[in-house]
Amino acid sequence: MYQYIIRRILQFIPMLLALSIIVFGLAKAAPGDPFSGKILDPEVGMEVYEKQRAELGLDKPIPVQYLRWAGKIVQGSFGESITYKGRSVESLIKERFLNTVYLGLFALFITLLVAIPIGIYSARHPYSLLDYGSTTFGFFGLAVPNFFFGLVVIYLFSIKLGWFPAQGTLSSNKLTGFAEFQDRIHHMILPGLTLGLASTASYMRYMRSEVMDVLGSDFIRTAKAKGMSNNNVLYKHTLRNALIPVITLLGMELGPLLGGAIITEQVFNFPGIGTLFIGSVINRDYPVVMAITLLLGVAILVGNLLADIFYSVVDPRIRYD
Amino acid sequence: MLKHFKHRFALLILLLMIGTILAACNKDDDKELSDPNESTSTDVSETDDGEEDASVDSGPKDGGTIVGAMYSAPAGMFNPIFYEEAYEANILDFTHEGLVTQNEKLEFISSLAEKWEVNDDQTEITFFLKEGVKWHDGEDFTADDVVYTYQAMSDPEYENAGGVRVNYVAPLLGYEAYQSGETDVFEGVVADGDYKVTFKFAEPNVSPLYYASFPIIPEHIFSSISVKDIPEAAESKDPGKVIGTGPFKFTDMIEREQYILERNEDYWQGAPHLDSIVWKVVAQSVMIGLLEKGEIDFVASPGGIAPADHDIVADFGNIEIIEQADFGYQLMGFKLNHRTTADVESGALNPDNWVPNKKLSDPKVRQAIAHAVNRQGLVGSGHGEGLLHGRGQPINSPIAQQMWAYDESSATAYEYDPDKAGQILDDLGYVDVTGDGFREDPEGKEWILNFDYPTGNELRERSAPILQSDLENVGIKVNLRQPAEMSVYVPGLTDDNTDWDLYLIGWSLSSTDPDPAGLWATKAGYNFSRWNSPTSEELMQKAVKAPDAFDQDYRSKVYAEWQKHFSEELPALLLYAQNSLWAYNDRIQGIKILPHSMYQDAHEWWVEDAE
Amino acid sequence: MRTVNEKENQLDELQIETRRKHRSPFQLSLRRFLKNKLAIAGMIVLIIIIGSAVFAPLLTDHDPKAHNLLKVEQKPSKEHILGTDSSGRDNFSRLLYGARVSLTIGISTMVFTVLLGMIFGTLSGYYGGKIDSIIMRITDLFLALPFLVLALTIIALLKKVTIGLFVVIIAVTSWPTLSRIIRGTFLSLREQEFVLGARAIGASDFRIIFRHFLPNAIGPIIVNATLLMAAMIIVESGLSFIGMGIPQPTPTWGNMISEAQGLRILRYHPEAWIPPGLAILLTVLSINFIGDGLRDAFDPKSDRR
Repeated sequence: MYQYIIRRILQFIPMLLALSIIVFGLAKAAPGDPFSGKILDPEVGMEVYEKQRAELGLDKPIPVQYLRWAGKIVQGSFGESITYKGRSVESLIKERFLNTVYLGLFALFITLLVAIPIGIYSARHPYSLLDYGSTTFGFFGLAVPNFFFGLVVIYLFSIKLGWFPAQGTLSSNKLTGFAEFQDRIHHMILPGLTLGLASTASYMRYMRSEVMDVLGSDFIRTAKAKGMSNNNVLYKHTLRNALIPVITLLGMELGPLLGGAIITEQVFNFPGIGTLFIGSVINRDYPVVMAITLLLGVAILVGNLLADIFYSVVDPRIRYD
Repeated sequence: MLKHFKHRFALLILLLMIGTILAACNKDDDKELSDPNESTSTDVSETDDGEEDASVDSGPKDGGTIVGAMYSAPAGMFNPIFYEEAYEANILDFTHEGLVTQNEKLEFISSLAEKWEVNDDQTEITFFLKEGVKWHDGEDFTADDVVYTYQAMSDPEYENAGGVRVNYVAPLLGYEAYQSGETDVFEGVVADGDYKVTFKFAEPNVSPLYYASFPIIPEHIFSSISVKDIPEAAESKDPGKVIGTGPFKFTDMIEREQYILERNEDYWQGAPHLDSIVWKVVAQSVMIGLLEKGEIDFVASPGGIAPADHDIVADFGNIEIIEQADFGYQLMGFKLNHRTTADVESGALNPDNWVPNKKLSDPKVRQAIAHAVNRQGLVGSGHGEGLLHGRGQPINSPIAQQMWAYDESSATAYEYDPDKAGQILDDLGYVDVTGDGFREDPEGKEWILNFDYPTGNELRERSAPILQSDLENVGIKVNLRQPAEMSVYVPGLTDDNTDWDLYLIGWSLSSTDPDPAGLWATKAGYNFSRWNSPTSEELMQKAVKAPDAFDQDYRSKVYAEWQKHFSEELPALLLYAQNSLWAYNDRIQGIKILPHSMYQDAHEWWVEDAE
Repeated sequence: MRTVNEKENQLDELQIETRRKHRSPFQLSLRRFLKNKLAIAGMIVLIIIIGSAVFAPLLTDHDPKAHNLLKVEQKPSKEHILGTDSSGRDNFSRLLYGARVSLTIGISTMVFTVLLGMIFGTLSGYYGGKIDSIIMRITDLFLALPFLVLALTIIALLKKVTIGLFVVIIAVTSWPTLSRIIRGTFLSLREQEFVLGARAIGASDFRIIFRHFLPNAIGPIIVNATLLMAAMIIVESGLSFIGMGIPQPTPTWGNMISEAQGLRILRYHPEAWIPPGLAILLTVLSINFIGDGLRDAFDPKSDRR
């Protein structure tokens, strides 16, 4: 198994190279450049941007641009943002990254907290009231677009009831310590619910289906036949097996989470990676787009690797060769 | 079995209904507002006399905080010479000032400069500065600051560092030599003592005050920083370090969420009444809810209130709406010429090489198209009509309506008349010979107009399919293409060596000078129609040629002629000018409404509920 | 088929047990499926929805693309039973015609994605070794590029986003999830006794995959596929929200809901967003019930419970 892990880690290097080439290629293949989408201002001539293009080296051949970019990354720099003049990409990302991570973790926490117990319950008591309820809720969650749900909760809980703030992450800079923490959580509840809605629904379905599958399999019957208690069967055998696909899913959750975050963050004006990303795509702020895509790619690769390793721990039957 | 089934199914339906009700339970109140026939109180908003109401009998009070909303966060460049976005301007408008500013008639009036003198041939303008004006850090404002601001914008490094405001400095004497680094001597703006400064132009200048209206930055802060490092400097970005002369200081922010402006006690026109103004970044979709709730006190350009929301906001009761014509318009352009591929690659704008676009080269065809489009329909005449719900008007002349040069009467108005459009096309030989319902060109070949449009402006996006169907109604086949993001659209629009025929674009015009050359001169980059008219060129040059053009009436006449020519030649069909809709909570008093801004003299704003 | 009533259940199973000898597995599955009332209900609802999409021209006289600028955002009336949208188009006809587009997108992306996912997942999970390694690295790369990133870039590259292209873009970017799930299941099956047994008696790969592996993976596949279909209809609306969906005036449920981007529509025009929202919900629900029914019917283990 260690050999397997080491090999997987070694495979990382060509993967990173491939990823960086794809990311760069995609960014370059998209038409338009950072200056072409500037709000057209009759007071500012189009010619002005020619100099800035040359300054950025956007007139150089693509491979040269790639090598420059990759070279800088190796030295630990993603370059400077174009939209945010005078800001390094790292500083922009760092600032937003934590916001999104907190939001994502919060959403994931809600998701798992709700999905796993309900999924298990539904599987053990199929076609019960709660099962129907959760199924309906689950599909309700899946059928409602993020932005729309966000809008509805803002309207209900923020504007009508005034329970939660509608926008942002913090009400004042002057808060510190626990008050700040509290305020941040308070701000995170609505966007967290919104972001977690769809994944809660799908995890619930997966849990239910997986647990049901495992409950029906031979070894569970054997275990039951041996006289093991229901709970014992559930926790010793069922969960472990049912969790496998769920772990796969978790490993892949980062991507969709960003997808959801892009839209959720917009509705709640939550300054995270998602808003930065979509803004940078629209402005063709390549250094930022490429950096986010690359970092996210690496994160997902690592996530998948961890999921695979985890696999081998929870399911020793999987043989690696 | 059946019993169970029924039971389950009933349950399912029940759950479904609960879900629906949960989702729907939020909009049972305020139902009456939604009936467009009942909302007749549109006139509430037309007036801006809120602050003179009888209810205000006590004088201004000091204190209080108000909250403004903007829909997108500023990029973070709070230095007038480097900022590019209107969102940054929202902050800079309160913190920085120029030598002159504009009044409600758009005339230049005194601001940091007390008075000025122009020499006879209008090559020099000398300003006498206000004394006793202090920067936010307590230093005196002097002529050196003015010189420094313009010198920095002329710096050889300025453009490479990302500066784009070169049009303010380009006409200055010796600009080119200084900008190219040939000389270290900056001749364009010269100080004489601390409170006298002279702008020198290379040529006689028709509107010298416009060039002198740029916000001034402090020399004592920036002189030690080289121009290329200014964008990175904390003095351009960080709250507390951004220094201006305006009524409010930029003191704090939660980046991308809140920007906090605090009273400048030493403001030269007197300390502001308000303690602070907080800008919050909010999503446009929820803004009106926050406005109603009082979490937001005011909202203005860019964005303001959506035309469709006007009546709803007017019904809130606590909100004043300011409706006035915007400085700009949307248009449907006709690609009259295309550039050659070679020219596009070399970046040349050489009218001699242009290839006429035969599909649209006859002005009569363009006029027929103008008659085919229901522009009044796009605007509508009230709530529930048109894309603008009546909040705007069709215009016929490409000069801002508020400008002295605007002359509606000289331009031809193309009223909506599909029959006439069809008649013109019939007469020109554009008839349907294949019987497919669409006209062919006079040679009997297929005649399809490609129609491109950008995303980014929701109303404009929605207008495209409507325009398509208007044209198809008179038998013009239109190939409506995928809308593109601006950064993709503009290169396509610029590199017009392709098959583009019709395009949509909107312009936001300057409130300072009506000269249309930046958009419509043959060689202007923004002349996306590639309109090549010697008459137009001659008129535009005549209108700014010294010394005749020193006389505004003379310019007006020339521009009237030009507007007439434009409307006949029709390089673009002007669709509509949308009204700007600004709003503020009626607890704020003392707001001064100007055609181009409501932020002037913010030191006089106050709130009734101040402690 | 399960019921709360134990006795009935046993009786039921007994019946199936006794009849089994006379029926092919497919017939058995079909029987089981037809006995699943929820699945049948889902089937009926879906047929109604598909029917109203197909026969839309008979149900409404309004052209879903025809605007009427004199009637913008109208409340429901006799003529426009669901009112009109922001360009004065009839909401009811957009709902019906929108079903065509949304169902096409949902169903075809689902089929396409499942097919791709199954092929790669099977190859990877069954054969393992080098093939697995290569395919997994490819899926890793695809997964490492978030769907929206790829989709946004590809859409930006294209001149015109047609429904077909849209389907391809979504499918190509979303198969890796499914293939990893299938692979995961297959990997755990590979070492199980019955597979070893089948190998030992010389069963062909093809037979092992289709007789032993796929039926075991059918649960996750169906769940994933039905979820996917729901997700795809939503993805389209999300893309509409950020302005990259199927462009107007083509009606889709997604761009109908994305009209409700502001509080005005949300509060004052529920007729504009409840119907498409409900349509999506009903479609997704019924597809899921059908999916559950199929799963239960084809899963070789399901009748033991």
